[in-house]
Amino acid sequence: MSATDTLVRLRYRFLPDHMVGEILSKRWTDNAIPFTALVLTLAIFGNINPGMFSAFGLYDLAGQISEFGLLAIALTLVMISGGIDLSIGSVFALCALTVLTALNVYGLPLPVAVLLTLAVGAFCGAINGVLIGYMRLRAFLTTLVTLVMFRSIYEMILPKVATDIVLGMPDSVVWDNLGFSSFLGLPYAFYIAAVIAIVWHIVLSRSRPGWHIAAVGGARRSAHNAGINVRLVICLTYVFCGMMVAAAAILFAARLTSVGTDTGLGMEISVLTAVILGGTTLGGGRGSVAKALIGSVIVLIMTNGLLQMGVIGTVSALILGVVLLLAVWLDVRWVKNRQKLIDSSYVSPAYIQLKDEDTNTSVYTENDKLRNVETIGLGQVEGPEDVAVDRHGNVYSGSRHGEIHRWLAPDFKEHEIFAHIGGGTFGMNFDKDDNLVVCVGGMGLYMVTPEREVVKLTDETNRSWTSVIDDSRIQLADDLDIAPDGRVFFSEASIRYTVHDWPVDMIESRGNGRIICYDPRDGSTKTVLRNRIFPNGIVCLPDGESLLFNETWACRVCRYWFDGPNKGKVEVVLDGLPGYPDNINRASDGNYWVCLVGMRGPALDLAMTRPSFRRRMTRRVAPANWIYPNINTGCIIKITAEGEVLESIWDKGGVNHPMVTSCKEHEGHLYIGGVSNNRVGRWKIEGADPTWSSPVDYWGPKS
Amino acid sequence: MSEKEKTKGGKGLSFSQEGIVFLLTLALFVAFSIILPNFLTSGNVIALMRSVSILGMLALGMSLVVIGRGVDLTMVATLVVGVVWAVKLTNDGMPFGEALFYGGLLVSAFGLIVGLIVAFAEIPPIFTTLAMAPVIFGIGNPFLFKQDTHNAPRNVEWLGDLGFGATLGIPNTILVFGLVALVIHLILRYTRFGRSIYAMGDNPLAARMTGLPLRPIIVSQYIMTALVAYLVGLVILASNSGINSRLAYTTLVYDVLLVVVLGGIGLSGGRGGVRNVIVGTLFVGTLLSGMTILNLSLTAQNLIKSVVMMLALIADTLVNPRDEQTSQQGDI
Amino acid sequence: MKLKSTLIGACAALALAGTASAQQELSNASRDSYMEAVAGKRIVYIPMSMTTDLVLTWHAFLQRQADELGYTVDVRDPNWSAEAGARALTQAIGEKPDLIVLQNPDVQAYARLIQRAQKAGIKIVQLNMESLSQSDAYVGADWYGVGYTAGEAIAAQCGGGNGASNKVAVVTGVPTAPVDLFQMSGFRQALEDAGSDVEIVSEQSAGYDPSKARAITSSVLQQHSDLCAAFGIWDGQDAGIGAAIKEAGMADQVFLVTSGGGAQTSCDRVEDGSFDMFIEYDARMQGQALNTLVATLLQSDREAGAEKLVYYGPNYIVTPETLNPASCFVVDEGQ
Repeated sequence: MSATDTLVRLRYRFLPDHMVGEILSKRWTDNAIPFTALVLTLAIFGNINPGMFSAFGLYDLAGQISEFGLLAIALTLVMISGGIDLSIGSVFALCALTVLTALNVYGLPLPVAVLLTLAVGAFCGAINGVLIGYMRLRAFLTTLVTLVMFRSIYEMILPKVATDIVLGMPDSVVWDNLGFSSFLGLPYAFYIAAVIAIVWHIVLSRSRPGWHIAAVGGARRSAHNAGINVRLVICLTYVFCGMMVAAAAILFAARLTSVGTDTGLGMEISVLTAVILGGTTLGGGRGSVAKALIGSVIVLIMTNGLLQMGVIGTVSALILGVVLLLAVWLDVRWVKNRQKLIDSSYVSPAYIQLKDEDTNTSVYTENDKLRNVETIGLGQVEGPEDVAVDRHGNVYSGSRHGEIHRWLAPDFKEHEIFAHIGGGTFGMNFDKDDNLVVCVGGMGLYMVTPEREVVKLTDETNRSWTSVIDDSRIQLADDLDIAPDGRVFFSEASIRYTVHDWPVDMIESRGNGRIICYDPRDGSTKTVLRNRIFPNGIVCLPDGESLLFNETWACRVCRYWFDGPNKGKVEVVLDGLPGYPDNINRASDGNYWVCLVGMRGPALDLAMTRPSFRRRMTRRVAPANWIYPNINTGCIIKITAEGEVLESIWDKGGVNHPMVTSCKEHEGHLYIGGVSNNRVGRWKIEGADPTWSSPVDYWGPKS
Repeated sequence: MSEKEKTKGGKGLSFSQEGIVFLLTLALFVAFSIILPNFLTSGNVIALMRSVSILGMLALGMSLVVIGRGVDLTMVATLVVGVVWAVKLTNDGMPFGEALFYGGLLVSAFGLIVGLIVAFAEIPPIFTTLAMAPVIFGIGNPFLFKQDTHNAPRNVEWLGDLGFGATLGIPNTILVFGLVALVIHLILRYTRFGRSIYAMGDNPLAARMTGLPLRPIIVSQYIMTALVAYLVGLVILASNSGINSRLAYTTLVYDVLLVVVLGGIGLSGGRGGVRNVIVGTLFVGTLLSGMTILNLSLTAQNLIKSVVMMLALIADTLVNPRDEQTSQQGDI
Repeated sequence: MKLKSTLIGACAALALAGTASAQQELSNASRDSYMEAVAGKRIVYIPMSMTTDLVLTWHAFLQRQADELGYTVDVRDPNWSAEAGARALTQAIGEKPDLIVLQNPDVQAYARLIQRAQKAGIKIVQLNMESLSQSDAYVGADWYGVGYTAGEAIAAQCGGGNGASNKVAVVTGVPTAPVDLFQMSGFRQALEDAGSDVEIVSEQSAGYDPSKARAITSSVLQQHSDLCAAFGIWDGQDAGIGAAIKEAGMADQVFLVTSGGGAQTSCDRVEDGSFDMFIEYDARMQGQALNTLVATLLQSDREAGAEKLVYYGPNYIVTPETLNPASCFVVDEGQ
């Protein structure tokens, strides 16, 4: 290996190129522009106005942020769902009036007053919600009209109670503390608002109702067709918006303890400014609590700062307007170009030097042994990546459509859909109770009982702390095998790509895959091996403490000890395969069948040592013109557990069985699946034990 | 008026929002005529028309952009700054005509900037104009003028005629309104520019693909709106023999938007025309005039106005329901 | 200067004896201590918006005296937003200036904040509108008096068969604004006191918008073609009332009373006959009184809230007969 090669290898081993794209594709990088604006604002106004960061300044600012932030979150809720609420200023005034009237005029206890106020907010929101959500009025106009409506009601009530509000003194220590006391230098209101904000953050980003809101805003029709009750969701966003406004109004009332004729007047504009500045888009689908808060802080600091600098009001409005335009302009650009940036930087090929093929052996000589393969279910199935045969000889296969097909023994003429799971079904094996355990692309590990009941076993594993992308979800479970103690070991081929992007993972060859163990005894799921290069087929050895697995793009077979004295050890048993190994399964003679899905070529092998070349290729050349592995020819080889290749069988012209991704031996026959085939193959093995069956070999005979 | 509406609108009229609002207007008009003895006098009807002609003219200007799937919330700020500056220049000694010319240049520049931002920076028009309104007013006050009250120059005769004169018994203001309506109608219906606005409002992408110069159209739209606003400002100046910059703080522009939309010009663009604006204007005018005569308080008027508008919106939705399958994404 | 010294005298009479005695002798010692007491101090001025004649005039006066005596005036312009005003006031309390000059938007908005400032030891002069919380000093127009004067004039004009009828129309700004409420209660009281048969046939709000005022008045004139008088709450808006009356050709019949701070634009309208009677709460007088109170409070060693000084500016009546070049003033825009 030359020195430059070493340098290239070291550079690609230690510089984490892939992080750039991964960081960019995190949802929070969406906030880059608003966040930069926030930092700039803080820096500029902090310099001009050192008083802002004094104890009093912070106390004051925290109080304002708690009110303004709640309002911004309220509007954000509605805007994520694709609506807008211009009436918040009027609802705010009404709610502040309600709580003050209840406390100061009628002397109600504080909890009653607060509940009453929240109810008023919810009621106003419900009016908007019913009109917009259920009656399908246009949000902009409707809330523009309710703005006038609520304001008129406010103006009718205000003169009757205004004087009493100022003269009355509520008899509540909590209320006084809420407005005037502090804890750790910040007002109580701030902590209340912070808790509410965190709750909404979790709801919006990590809960089903939150996703429903975003779904409705992002694509109303699709959300409706996906079964979301769009009308209810929209209505509820307005109700919650009203309640949040009420909460803000309570904090405001506690701080100022009075309302005036223009309380809340024009508030919708400043809140809207904050929300948009934070990067929430009108029309729905995009927005978060963080955005709302970032926007609010920017707006508050700017208006306060300008006010304090003695800038004429109209001029500070001018400056705010220009800043809003600039920020939105940058944000529009950012949104437009972020995806392009991700597209061009996400794929980050690594250096990999494949071991040369073993040219001294003739075991790989092509032959036509597979030519006489029988076909089962021709045209009935699409993409059987893996096959399985049960104790009675019935043949099962997965399919691209998320179904498990079954052909009944003995002649396999009778075909049925055994179960519908929903995701592309890959590796499958029977456990000791004859349940069919299946790897499902995009969904995780599932099990189908003999009664055809589909049970989810697991769909997430532990999050690894060093990974930028969230790798807790299992998105490309590929093959599995079951250890004698019942533990299921399965491979996840890539955490960076979904099944459709497997060629891209190949171009990258970075070691994005892992092996995960699901333990049915306590239902736990744990990642046991990381950073493998497209780990694919898995087979447990009879010793009960180790397994063999294929690393497809590395063209090798490895052995991993999950128990026993060698626990944790990984050893390459067979390197330098002439093709890309897919699945591996037991043979009746104690050896293993390995399917090579495609064969290596010198051009691609060379390209694997030139990561920058591959990167240029992905950036400049259309995907259709990339160099891909040859998957038009494949073969099945038989190896020993120690890595000795015993024989290879081919279908040279690819006539009867063009692609091989998996094979299972059963009673003297090999059942063959291929991920782009439309059939299952059945091939008679010369000299094989005609009584051997995989479930019996694994779990022993059963009556 | 009613005859004309019926023959022109034909069968579809009574089922559109425009039709609903028109029927409501008729109902209100009849009701007020019966309840209020002096409502149905020519003098009152003229006063009614006159009082809404400013709103109507602004709505006409607004409709130009709304049909093109835009919106212009800077209209009031633009008219205030343009006209107040022109008046200030005059009071400082410049001939009124010259000052008006400069004011016109200024508002065109405002329209140009707004249009450029919408067309080239691709910021949604509602935000562009929302943000530009205070920017425009902030440029006017304090850099071009400071005080809020400005009296019209006294020795300009035509200004007095515009504000107080009448031709054939009809106040000139109403005539100007009619003229603006006619011009905009002709532009929208009979010029290539007008047809382009409809095409753009209906489907901007398709319009661009068929080769329409979208960006120049957008920019000229906003310049036209600014000029209409400037003209309205002149009418305001003439009719009150002065102008108060506090106007920029009012919610007048939202009333304008409501008139446009109530008349049946959807915010999603491509629909409606001058007739819709006139229907919307008449509706608001009738309502306001009746309530003023009834001597209701401003608060009560606002409440009633909002309730009636809501009823009109609800009626439209009931007659023309929208559902999840047909509603446009991002159409608020 | 003459006016100024009279005013100082007037305010000294209002002020408590302790500060009044300082005026007795003009020795160098008292001048020095005066100059020393005010120099280097800091005032925060929080108006409603730096656009109206009143606010600009007050500021011009404040600034002039500050420049002469060597203290500073910082403006915080909330641009018509009481909420921004409350923030400015809160900030100002944190900054601890020597004095806050505050224009109240209404009686309630700043009530609690004023109390807070006083507790924090900051003196406050309120302008234009008295808050429900009293502070060290108040300078402003006598709103009740404005309404009362207007009521008296209209009662005389239209009562007892003197005018075209006994009908009067009222155009307020917004019905909930205290300025409007005070004027209206004064106006009603005057009508009642005069025992006249004058009837308010219309009481509408125009939201300080002259175009709306014009529309309202046109409608009212249609209904009551024999209207005798109209009363408006603010001159900037009431230009619209005058325009409607002029258009209807009833300038001779309808007696229009309005009020304002006394900018030249208003006197021009008196001159051209739009306004028949203009009640001027002279902003210049208020500015002078404000300066006197500021100087007084800056000198005083007493705690914030110890004094409650009040100055109601007198209302001058400007009619076409009494109009003279000094009736109004041109707002000093050059700052």
